[in-house]
Amino acid sequence: MHIMEGYLPWQWCVFWYLVSAPFIIYGIYLLNRQVKEHRETLSLLAVSGAFIFLLSSLKMPSPVVGSCSHPTGTGLSTVLFGPFITCVLSVIVLIFQALFMAHGGITTLGANDFSMGIAGPLLGYVVYRVAKAVKLNIFVNIFLVAFVADLFTYVITAIELAAAFPATHGGFLISFETFFAIYAVTQIPLAIVEGLLIALVFKYIVQSRGDILVKLKVLTPEQATKITEGFK
Amino acid sequence: MSFMEENLDYYAQSNALRDVNCYLKLALGLGAIFICIASPAPLAPLFIVITLSAITLVVAKIPVRVYVELLHIPVIFAFFSVIVILFLSGSGDTILTFTVANVPLTITTGSANLASLVLVRTFGGMCGLFFIALTTPMIEIFSVMHKLHFPPVMVDLSMLIYHFIFVFIAETIAIHNAQTIRHGYTSLKRSINSMAMLGAMLFIRGWKEAEDLIIAMDSRCYDGKLALPGQQNPPKPAAIASIAVYLGLCIAVAIMTSTIVPFR
Repeated sequence: MHIMEGYLPWQWCVFWYLVSAPFIIYGIYLLNRQVKEHRETLSLLAVSGAFIFLLSSLKMPSPVVGSCSHPTGTGLSTVLFGPFITCVLSVIVLIFQALFMAHGGITTLGANDFSMGIAGPLLGYVVYRVAKAVKLNIFVNIFLVAFVADLFTYVITAIELAAAFPATHGGFLISFETFFAIYAVTQIPLAIVEGLLIALVFKYIVQSRGDILVKLKVLTPEQATKITEGFK
Repeated sequence: MSFMEENLDYYAQSNALRDVNCYLKLALGLGAIFICIASPAPLAPLFIVITLSAITLVVAKIPVRVYVELLHIPVIFAFFSVIVILFLSGSGDTILTFTVANVPLTITTGSANLASLVLVRTFGGMCGLFFIALTTPMIEIFSVMHKLHFPPVMVDLSMLIYHFIFVFIAETIAIHNAQTIRHGYTSLKRSINSMAMLGAMLFIRGWKEAEDLIIAMDSRCYDGKLALPGQQNPPKPAAIASIAVYLGLCIAVAIMTSTIVPFR
Protein backbone atom coordinates (compact mmCIF):
# COMPACT_ATOMS: atom_id res chain seq x y z
CA MET A 1 0.00 0.00 0.00
CA HIS A 2 1.36 3.40 -0.93
CA ILE A 3 1.27 6.42 1.32
CA MET A 4 -1.91 8.33 0.61
CA GLU A 5 -2.29 11.83 -0.75
CA GLY A 6 -2.24 14.37 2.05
CA TYR A 7 -0.96 11.95 4.69
CA LEU A 8 2.55 13.40 4.93
CA PRO A 9 3.21 16.97 6.10
CA TRP A 10 4.52 19.18 3.28
CA GLN A 11 8.08 19.34 4.69
CA TRP A 12 8.40 15.57 4.33
CA CYS A 13 6.88 15.60 0.86
CA VAL A 14 9.58 18.03 -0.25
CA PHE A 15 12.28 16.08 1.56
CA TRP A 16 11.43 12.76 -0.16
CA TYR A 17 11.15 14.45 -3.54
CA LEU A 18 14.67 15.79 -3.06
CA VAL A 19 16.00 12.41 -1.93
CA SER A 20 14.45 10.61 -4.91
CA ALA A 21 15.41 13.20 -7.54
CA PRO A 22 19.06 12.16 -8.12
CA PHE A 23 18.05 8.51 -8.62
CA ILE A 24 15.31 9.46 -11.05
CA ILE A 25 17.61 11.79 -13.00
CA TYR A 26 20.30 9.12 -13.23
CA GLY A 27 17.62 6.61 -14.28
CA ILE A 28 16.45 8.92 -17.06
CA TYR A 29 20.05 9.35 -18.21
CA LEU A 30 20.48 5.55 -18.40
CA LEU A 31 17.13 5.23 -20.10
CA ASN A 32 18.12 7.77 -22.75
CA ARG A 33 21.35 5.96 -23.41
CA GLN A 34 19.69 2.56 -23.62
CA VAL A 35 17.02 3.80 -26.02
CA LYS A 36 19.63 5.51 -28.24
CA GLU A 37 21.69 2.33 -28.43
CA HIS A 38 18.84 -0.14 -28.86
CA ARG A 39 15.76 1.56 -30.26
CA GLU A 40 13.60 -1.47 -29.75
CA THR A 41 13.96 -1.40 -25.95
CA LEU A 42 11.56 1.54 -25.61
CA SER A 43 8.45 -0.49 -26.28
CA LEU A 44 9.80 -3.42 -24.29
CA LEU A 45 10.33 -1.09 -21.31
CA ALA A 46 6.77 0.10 -21.77
CA VAL A 47 5.56 -3.48 -21.47
CA SER A 48 7.48 -3.87 -18.22
CA GLY A 49 6.01 -0.63 -16.90
CA ALA A 50 2.47 -1.70 -17.74
CA PHE A 51 3.29 -5.04 -16.16
CA ILE A 52 4.32 -3.39 -12.88
CA PHE A 53 1.13 -1.33 -13.02
CA LEU A 54 -1.06 -4.34 -13.51
CA LEU A 55 0.67 -6.54 -10.95
CA SER A 56 0.34 -3.88 -8.30
CA SER A 57 -3.33 -3.45 -9.20
CA LEU A 58 -4.11 -7.15 -8.85
CA LYS A 59 -5.32 -8.26 -5.49
CA MET A 60 -2.99 -11.04 -4.53
CA PRO A 61 -4.31 -14.26 -3.00
CA SER A 62 -3.60 -13.41 0.59
CA PRO A 63 -3.16 -15.90 3.41
CA VAL A 64 -4.22 -13.23 5.89
CA VAL A 65 -7.91 -12.53 5.86
CA GLY A 66 -8.94 -8.97 5.21
CA SER A 67 -5.56 -7.63 4.26
CA CYS A 68 -5.42 -5.55 1.15
CA SER A 69 -1.87 -5.68 -0.04
CA HIS A 70 -0.58 -6.16 -3.51
CA PRO A 71 2.65 -7.23 -5.18
CA THR A 72 5.01 -4.35 -5.84
CA GLY A 73 5.93 -5.98 -9.14
CA THR A 74 9.32 -4.32 -9.25
CA GLY A 75 11.31 -7.53 -8.69
CA LEU A 76 11.06 -8.77 -12.26
CA SER A 77 11.98 -5.48 -13.89
CA THR A 78 14.92 -5.10 -11.48
CA VAL A 79 16.33 -8.37 -12.76
CA LEU A 80 15.59 -7.56 -16.40
CA PHE A 81 16.60 -3.88 -16.60
CA GLY A 82 18.46 -3.01 -13.41
CA PRO A 83 17.42 -0.83 -10.46
CA PHE A 84 17.76 2.67 -11.93
CA ILE A 85 15.55 2.13 -14.95
CA THR A 86 13.08 0.39 -12.63
CA CYS A 87 13.07 3.61 -10.62
CA VAL A 88 11.90 5.67 -13.63
CA LEU A 89 9.32 3.03 -14.52
CA SER A 90 8.03 3.18 -10.95
CA VAL A 91 7.60 6.97 -11.09
CA ILE A 92 5.45 6.66 -14.19
CA VAL A 93 3.48 3.75 -12.75
CA LEU A 94 2.91 5.61 -9.48
CA ILE A 95 1.58 8.65 -11.36
CA PHE A 96 -0.82 6.40 -13.26
CA GLN A 97 -1.91 4.63 -10.10
CA ALA A 98 -2.61 7.95 -8.41
CA LEU A 99 -4.74 9.09 -11.33
CA PHE A 100 -6.43 5.75 -12.06
CA MET A 101 -7.21 4.26 -8.70
CA ALA A 102 -6.24 6.84 -6.09
CA HIS A 103 -3.43 4.58 -4.89
CA GLY A 104 -0.78 6.93 -3.53
CA GLY A 105 -0.79 10.57 -4.54
CA ILE A 106 0.99 13.46 -6.19
CA THR A 107 2.50 15.09 -3.09
CA THR A 108 3.54 11.71 -1.68
CA LEU A 109 5.03 10.62 -5.02
CA GLY A 110 8.59 11.28 -3.86
CA ALA A 111 8.19 9.18 -0.72
CA ASN A 112 6.40 6.36 -2.54
CA ASP A 113 8.97 6.27 -5.30
CA PHE A 114 11.78 6.15 -2.78
CA SER A 115 10.32 3.08 -1.09
CA MET A 116 8.91 1.19 -4.08
CA GLY A 117 11.12 2.36 -6.93
CA ILE A 118 14.52 3.01 -5.33
CA ALA A 119 15.16 1.28 -2.00
CA GLY A 120 13.36 -1.99 -2.79
CA PRO A 121 14.85 -2.57 -6.25
CA LEU A 122 18.35 -1.45 -5.17
CA LEU A 123 18.50 -3.95 -2.34
CA GLY A 124 16.87 -6.56 -4.56
CA TYR A 125 19.58 -5.94 -7.15
CA VAL A 126 22.32 -6.37 -4.57
CA VAL A 127 20.77 -9.69 -3.56
CA TYR A 128 20.55 -10.68 -7.23
CA ARG A 129 24.23 -9.97 -7.90
CA VAL A 130 25.41 -11.71 -4.72
CA ALA A 131 23.26 -14.77 -5.38
CA LYS A 132 24.48 -14.83 -8.97
CA ALA A 133 28.11 -14.65 -7.84
CA VAL A 134 27.69 -17.62 -5.51
CA LYS A 135 25.87 -19.47 -8.34
CA LEU A 136 22.61 -19.93 -6.51
CA ASN A 137 19.81 -21.64 -8.45
CA ILE A 138 18.25 -18.98 -10.70
CA PHE A 139 14.68 -19.58 -9.46
CA VAL A 140 15.72 -19.35 -5.81
CA ASN A 141 17.55 -16.18 -6.78
CA ILE A 142 14.45 -14.63 -8.43
CA PHE A 143 12.36 -15.62 -5.41
CA LEU A 144 14.82 -13.87 -3.09
CA VAL A 145 14.95 -10.72 -5.23
CA ALA A 146 11.16 -10.36 -5.34
CA PHE A 147 10.86 -11.21 -1.63
CA VAL A 148 13.49 -8.69 -0.59
CA ALA A 149 12.26 -5.95 -2.94
CA ASP A 150 8.72 -6.32 -1.64
CA LEU A 151 9.61 -6.52 2.04
CA PHE A 152 12.17 -3.74 1.98
CA THR A 153 9.66 -1.47 0.25
CA TYR A 154 7.47 -1.76 3.33
CA VAL A 155 10.35 -1.35 5.77
CA ILE A 156 11.14 1.96 4.06
CA THR A 157 7.48 2.97 4.04
CA ALA A 158 7.36 2.34 7.78
CA ILE A 159 10.50 4.46 8.21
CA GLU A 160 8.96 7.28 6.17
CA LEU A 161 5.80 7.22 8.26
CA ALA A 162 7.71 7.01 11.53
CA ALA A 163 9.94 9.93 10.55
CA ALA A 164 6.90 12.07 9.77
CA PHE A 165 5.01 11.04 12.90
CA PRO A 166 7.49 10.20 15.68
CA ALA A 167 6.01 9.09 18.99
CA THR A 168 6.05 11.78 21.65
CA HIS A 169 7.36 9.30 24.20
CA GLY A 170 10.12 7.16 22.74
CA GLY A 171 10.44 9.04 19.45
CA PHE A 172 11.21 7.62 16.04
CA LEU A 173 12.03 4.04 17.08
CA ILE A 174 8.77 3.36 18.90
CA SER A 175 6.89 4.84 15.96
CA PHE A 176 8.82 2.70 13.49
CA GLU A 177 8.15 -0.46 15.49
CA THR A 178 4.44 0.29 15.56
CA PHE A 179 4.12 1.08 11.86
CA PHE A 180 6.22 -1.89 10.86
CA ALA A 181 4.38 -4.25 13.19
CA ILE A 182 1.15 -3.27 11.43
CA TYR A 183 2.67 -3.94 8.02
CA ALA A 184 4.52 -7.08 9.09
CA VAL A 185 1.31 -8.98 9.89
CA THR A 186 0.19 -8.84 6.30
CA GLN A 187 3.37 -8.10 4.45
CA ILE A 188 5.72 -10.92 5.40
CA PRO A 189 3.34 -13.63 4.13
CA LEU A 190 2.61 -11.48 1.08
CA ALA A 191 6.29 -10.98 0.33
CA ILE A 192 6.69 -14.76 0.34
CA VAL A 193 3.73 -15.13 -2.01
CA GLU A 194 5.09 -12.42 -4.29
CA GLY A 195 8.46 -14.18 -4.35
CA LEU A 196 6.80 -17.45 -5.37
CA LEU A 197 4.67 -15.66 -7.92
CA ILE A 198 7.54 -13.86 -9.63
CA ALA A 199 9.68 -17.03 -9.62
CA LEU A 200 6.80 -18.91 -11.28
CA VAL A 201 6.28 -16.12 -13.82
CA PHE A 202 9.97 -16.32 -14.57
CA LYS A 203 9.67 -20.07 -15.05
CA TYR A 204 6.84 -19.68 -17.55
CA ILE A 205 8.80 -17.01 -19.42
CA VAL A 206 11.87 -19.25 -19.67
CA GLN A 207 9.72 -22.11 -20.88
CA SER A 208 7.94 -20.27 -23.65
CA ARG A 209 10.18 -17.33 -24.57
CA GLY A 210 13.66 -18.05 -23.24
CA ASP A 211 15.12 -15.91 -26.04
CA ILE A 212 13.83 -12.73 -24.34
CA LEU A 213 15.96 -13.44 -21.27
CA VAL A 214 19.00 -14.25 -23.40
CA LYS A 215 18.56 -10.96 -25.27
CA LEU A 216 18.50 -9.02 -21.99
CA LYS A 217 21.60 -10.91 -20.83
CA VAL A 218 19.82 -12.35 -17.78
CA LEU A 219 20.66 -15.87 -18.93
CA THR A 220 23.39 -17.16 -21.22
CA PRO A 221 22.11 -19.17 -24.22
CA GLU A 222 23.50 -22.36 -22.63
CA GLN A 223 21.66 -21.73 -19.37
CA ALA A 224 18.41 -21.09 -21.22
CA THR A 225 18.58 -24.33 -23.20
CA LYS A 226 19.61 -26.23 -20.08
CA ILE A 227 16.64 -24.94 -18.08
CA THR A 228 14.17 -25.50 -20.93
CA GLU A 229 15.40 -29.05 -21.38
CA GLY A 230 15.14 -29.63 -17.66
CA PHE A 231 11.40 -28.99 -17.84
CA LYS A 232 10.74 -31.38 -20.71
CA MET B 1 -11.85 -6.85 -11.63
CA SER B 2 -14.63 -4.31 -11.85
CA PHE B 3 -12.30 -1.32 -11.50
CA MET B 4 -10.69 -2.34 -14.76
CA GLU B 5 -13.86 -2.32 -16.77
CA GLU B 6 -15.11 0.93 -15.34
CA ASN B 7 -11.93 2.90 -14.77
CA LEU B 8 -11.59 6.60 -14.15
CA ASP B 9 -10.47 7.21 -17.70
CA TYR B 10 -13.99 6.63 -18.93
CA TYR B 11 -15.30 9.50 -16.83
CA ALA B 12 -12.32 11.68 -17.69
CA GLN B 13 -13.33 11.38 -21.33
CA SER B 14 -17.04 11.95 -20.85
CA ASN B 15 -17.56 14.41 -17.98
CA ALA B 16 -19.06 17.87 -18.35
CA LEU B 17 -15.70 19.63 -17.91
CA ARG B 18 -14.04 17.55 -20.66
CA ASP B 19 -13.47 20.50 -23.00
CA VAL B 20 -12.29 23.01 -20.42
CA ASN B 21 -8.62 23.98 -20.80
CA CYS B 22 -6.61 21.37 -18.92
CA TYR B 23 -4.23 23.86 -17.29
CA LEU B 24 -7.20 25.34 -15.48
CA LYS B 25 -8.35 21.94 -14.23
CA LEU B 26 -4.84 21.03 -13.09
CA ALA B 27 -4.46 24.41 -11.38
CA LEU B 28 -7.70 23.87 -9.48
CA GLY B 29 -6.93 20.27 -8.42
CA LEU B 30 -3.26 20.76 -7.54
CA GLY B 31 -3.95 24.12 -5.90
CA ALA B 32 -6.53 22.51 -3.63
CA ILE B 33 -4.13 19.67 -2.74
CA PHE B 34 -1.32 22.08 -1.87
CA ILE B 35 -3.57 24.26 0.28
CA CYS B 36 -4.73 21.09 2.06
CA ILE B 37 -1.28 19.86 3.00
CA ALA B 38 -0.04 23.34 3.91
CA SER B 39 -2.96 24.07 6.21
CA PRO B 40 -2.09 23.91 9.92
CA ALA B 41 -5.68 23.43 11.07
CA PRO B 42 -8.42 21.03 9.93
CA LEU B 43 -11.09 23.54 8.89
CA ALA B 44 -9.57 24.56 5.55
CA PRO B 45 -9.15 20.96 4.28
CA LEU B 46 -12.71 20.28 5.43
CA PHE B 47 -13.89 23.29 3.43
CA ILE B 48 -12.03 21.94 0.39
CA VAL B 49 -13.52 18.46 0.82
CA ILE B 50 -17.04 19.85 0.76
CA THR B 51 -16.64 22.43 -2.00
CA LEU B 52 -14.44 20.36 -4.31
CA SER B 53 -16.76 17.35 -4.03
CA ALA B 54 -19.63 19.66 -4.90
CA ILE B 55 -17.71 20.92 -7.94
CA THR B 56 -16.92 17.36 -9.05
CA LEU B 57 -20.50 16.19 -8.63
CA VAL B 58 -22.47 19.24 -9.78
CA VAL B 59 -20.25 21.02 -12.28
CA ALA B 60 -18.42 18.02 -13.77
CA LYS B 61 -21.60 15.88 -13.44
CA ILE B 62 -19.90 12.74 -12.11
CA PRO B 63 -22.56 10.28 -10.84
CA VAL B 64 -22.80 10.31 -7.02
CA ARG B 65 -22.71 6.50 -6.87
CA VAL B 66 -19.36 6.38 -8.70
CA TYR B 67 -17.85 9.12 -6.55
CA VAL B 68 -18.90 7.51 -3.25
CA GLU B 69 -17.65 4.12 -4.40
CA LEU B 70 -14.30 5.60 -5.34
CA LEU B 71 -13.88 7.47 -2.09
CA HIS B 72 -14.94 4.87 0.42
CA ILE B 73 -11.93 2.55 0.20
CA PRO B 74 -9.23 5.22 0.65
CA VAL B 75 -11.26 6.80 3.43
CA ILE B 76 -11.35 3.51 5.33
CA PHE B 77 -7.57 3.22 4.92
CA ALA B 78 -7.07 6.80 6.04
CA PHE B 79 -9.15 6.08 9.12
CA PHE B 80 -7.01 3.10 10.12
CA SER B 81 -3.72 4.92 9.54
CA VAL B 82 -4.91 7.83 11.61
CA ILE B 83 -5.65 5.58 14.61
CA VAL B 84 -1.91 4.90 14.89
CA ILE B 85 -1.19 8.62 15.11
CA LEU B 86 -3.91 8.98 17.69
CA PHE B 87 -2.04 6.75 20.15
CA LEU B 88 1.57 7.51 19.24
CA SER B 89 2.00 11.22 19.34
CA GLY B 90 0.78 14.33 21.00
CA SER B 91 1.06 16.31 24.15
CA GLY B 92 -1.39 18.27 26.27
CA ASP B 93 -4.17 17.07 28.50
CA THR B 94 -5.15 13.42 28.53
CA ILE B 95 -8.58 12.76 27.10
CA LEU B 96 -8.74 9.01 27.43
CA THR B 97 -6.53 6.23 28.82
CA PHE B 98 -7.05 2.51 28.64
CA THR B 99 -5.00 -0.67 28.55
CA VAL B 100 -4.99 -3.30 25.84
CA ALA B 101 -2.93 -6.44 26.57
CA ASN B 102 -0.76 -4.64 29.14
CA VAL B 103 0.01 -1.79 26.75
CA PRO B 104 -1.25 1.52 28.08
CA LEU B 105 -2.87 3.59 25.34
CA THR B 106 -3.44 7.30 25.78
CA ILE B 107 -5.24 9.84 23.70
CA THR B 108 -4.27 13.42 24.43
CA THR B 109 -5.61 16.69 23.05
CA GLY B 110 -2.44 17.05 20.98
CA SER B 111 -2.75 13.64 19.39
CA ALA B 112 -6.47 14.05 18.77
CA ASN B 113 -5.81 17.36 17.04
CA LEU B 114 -3.04 15.91 14.89
CA ALA B 115 -5.09 12.85 14.00
CA SER B 116 -8.12 14.88 12.97
CA LEU B 117 -5.91 17.20 10.92
CA VAL B 118 -4.26 14.29 9.07
CA LEU B 119 -7.62 12.66 8.46
CA VAL B 120 -9.23 15.68 6.78
CA ARG B 121 -5.98 16.52 4.99
CA THR B 122 -5.90 13.04 3.46
CA PHE B 123 -9.56 13.32 2.62
CA GLY B 124 -9.03 16.73 1.00
CA GLY B 125 -6.01 15.54 -0.97
CA MET B 126 -8.05 12.62 -2.22
CA CYS B 127 -10.82 14.93 -3.42
CA GLY B 128 -8.25 17.03 -5.33
CA LEU B 129 -6.79 13.90 -6.87
CA PHE B 130 -10.18 12.57 -7.88
CA PHE B 131 -11.10 15.94 -9.37
CA ILE B 132 -8.08 15.75 -11.68
CA ALA B 133 -8.55 12.04 -12.36
CA LEU B 134 -12.23 12.36 -13.22
CA THR B 135 -12.06 15.50 -15.37
CA THR B 136 -8.70 15.43 -17.16
CA PRO B 137 -7.86 12.67 -19.67
CA MET B 138 -4.31 11.32 -19.51
CA ILE B 139 -3.66 12.42 -23.11
CA GLU B 140 -3.98 16.05 -22.04
CA ILE B 141 -1.60 15.47 -19.16
CA PHE B 142 0.95 14.09 -21.65
CA SER B 143 0.75 17.24 -23.72
CA VAL B 144 1.28 19.29 -20.55
CA MET B 145 4.37 17.17 -19.81
CA HIS B 146 5.64 17.94 -23.32
CA LYS B 147 5.08 21.66 -22.87
CA LEU B 148 6.85 21.64 -19.49
CA HIS B 149 9.90 20.07 -21.18
CA PHE B 150 9.87 16.74 -19.41
CA PRO B 151 12.53 14.49 -21.02
CA PRO B 152 10.95 13.27 -24.29
CA VAL B 153 12.00 9.70 -23.59
CA MET B 154 10.02 9.77 -20.35
CA VAL B 155 6.90 11.23 -21.96
CA ASP B 156 7.05 8.66 -24.78
CA LEU B 157 7.55 5.86 -22.30
CA SER B 158 4.55 7.10 -20.30
CA MET B 159 2.40 7.14 -23.41
CA LEU B 160 3.46 3.64 -24.40
CA ILE B 161 2.85 2.35 -20.86
CA TYR B 162 -0.58 3.96 -21.03
CA HIS B 163 -1.22 2.18 -24.32
CA PHE B 164 -0.11 -1.18 -22.93
CA ILE B 165 -2.18 -0.83 -19.77
CA PHE B 166 -5.33 -1.02 -21.90
CA VAL B 167 -3.99 -3.88 -23.98
CA PHE B 168 -3.21 -5.72 -20.74
CA ILE B 169 -6.54 -4.94 -19.11
CA ALA B 170 -8.41 -6.56 -21.97
CA GLU B 171 -6.13 -9.62 -21.86
CA THR B 172 -6.33 -9.88 -18.08
CA ILE B 173 -10.11 -9.87 -18.04
CA ALA B 174 -10.25 -12.57 -20.71
CA ILE B 175 -7.63 -14.83 -19.09
CA HIS B 176 -8.96 -14.25 -15.57
CA ASN B 177 -12.49 -15.20 -16.62
CA ALA B 178 -11.24 -18.31 -18.40
CA GLN B 179 -9.25 -19.34 -15.32
CA THR B 180 -12.11 -18.65 -12.93
CA ILE B 181 -14.62 -20.82 -14.80
CA ARG B 182 -12.07 -23.64 -14.71
CA HIS B 183 -11.80 -23.37 -10.90
CA GLY B 184 -8.41 -21.67 -11.12
CA TYR B 185 -8.90 -19.65 -7.95
CA THR B 186 -10.51 -22.15 -5.61
CA SER B 187 -7.53 -22.66 -3.27
CA LEU B 188 -4.47 -20.68 -2.31
CA LYS B 189 -2.09 -22.97 -4.16
CA ARG B 190 -4.18 -22.91 -7.32
CA SER B 191 -4.58 -19.15 -7.07
CA ILE B 192 -0.85 -18.62 -6.95
CA ASN B 193 -0.30 -20.92 -9.89
CA SER B 194 -3.09 -19.31 -11.91
CA MET B 195 -1.86 -15.82 -11.14
CA ALA B 196 1.66 -16.73 -12.15
CA MET B 197 0.38 -18.16 -15.41
CA LEU B 198 -1.69 -15.05 -15.99
CA GLY B 199 1.30 -12.82 -15.26
CA ALA B 200 3.65 -14.74 -17.52
CA MET B 201 1.15 -14.88 -20.38
CA LEU B 202 0.58 -11.14 -20.12
CA PHE B 203 4.29 -10.51 -20.17
CA ILE B 204 4.91 -12.74 -23.16
CA ARG B 205 1.98 -11.44 -25.20
CA GLY B 206 2.85 -7.89 -24.28
CA TRP B 207 6.40 -8.53 -25.39
CA LYS B 208 5.20 -9.72 -28.77
CA GLU B 209 2.91 -6.71 -29.11
CA ALA B 210 5.87 -4.48 -28.26
CA GLU B 211 8.03 -6.03 -30.96
CA ASP B 212 5.26 -5.49 -33.50
CA LEU B 213 4.65 -1.96 -32.25
CA ILE B 214 8.23 -0.86 -32.74
CA ILE B 215 8.13 -2.09 -36.34
CA ALA B 216 4.89 -0.17 -36.89
CA MET B 217 6.41 2.94 -35.30
CA ASP B 218 9.61 2.67 -37.32
CA SER B 219 7.71 2.31 -40.57
CA ARG B 220 5.96 5.59 -39.73
CA CYS B 221 9.30 7.35 -39.22
CA TYR B 222 9.43 7.40 -35.42
CA ASP B 223 12.39 9.57 -34.43
CA GLY B 224 12.31 9.52 -30.64
CA LYS B 225 9.39 11.86 -30.06
CA LEU B 226 5.77 10.91 -30.46
CA ALA B 227 3.70 13.77 -31.84
CA LEU B 228 0.69 14.84 -29.83
CA PRO B 229 -2.42 16.48 -31.20
CA GLY B 230 -2.19 19.36 -28.77
CA GLN B 231 -5.48 21.09 -29.34
CA GLN B 232 -6.55 22.98 -26.26
CA ASN B 233 -9.51 25.27 -25.95
CA PRO B 234 -8.21 28.67 -24.86
CA PRO B 235 -9.12 29.39 -21.23
CA LYS B 236 -12.20 31.57 -20.80
CA PRO B 237 -11.61 34.68 -18.68
CA ALA B 238 -14.63 33.83 -16.54
CA ALA B 239 -13.20 30.38 -15.80
CA ILE B 240 -9.80 31.81 -14.86
CA ALA B 241 -11.46 34.35 -12.61
CA SER B 242 -13.67 31.80 -10.86
CA ILE B 243 -10.75 29.43 -10.19
CA ALA B 244 -8.66 32.32 -8.84
CA VAL B 245 -11.55 33.38 -6.60
CA TYR B 246 -12.09 29.81 -5.38
CA LEU B 247 -8.41 29.18 -4.56
CA GLY B 248 -8.19 32.65 -2.97
CA LEU B 249 -11.17 31.77 -0.83
CA CYS B 250 -9.53 28.48 0.24
CA ILE B 251 -6.34 30.30 1.21
CA ALA B 252 -8.35 32.89 3.11
CA VAL B 253 -10.18 30.15 5.00
CA ALA B 254 -6.86 28.43 5.76
CA ILE B 255 -5.35 31.64 7.15
CA MET B 256 -8.39 32.70 9.12
CA THR B 257 -8.94 29.29 10.73
CA SER B 258 -5.27 28.46 11.27
CA THR B 259 -5.58 28.64 15.07
CA ILE B 260 -8.92 26.86 15.43
CA VAL B 261 -8.46 23.28 16.63
CA PRO B 262 -11.21 20.81 17.58
CA PHE B 263 -9.75 19.78 20.97
CA ARG B 264 -8.38 22.19 23.55
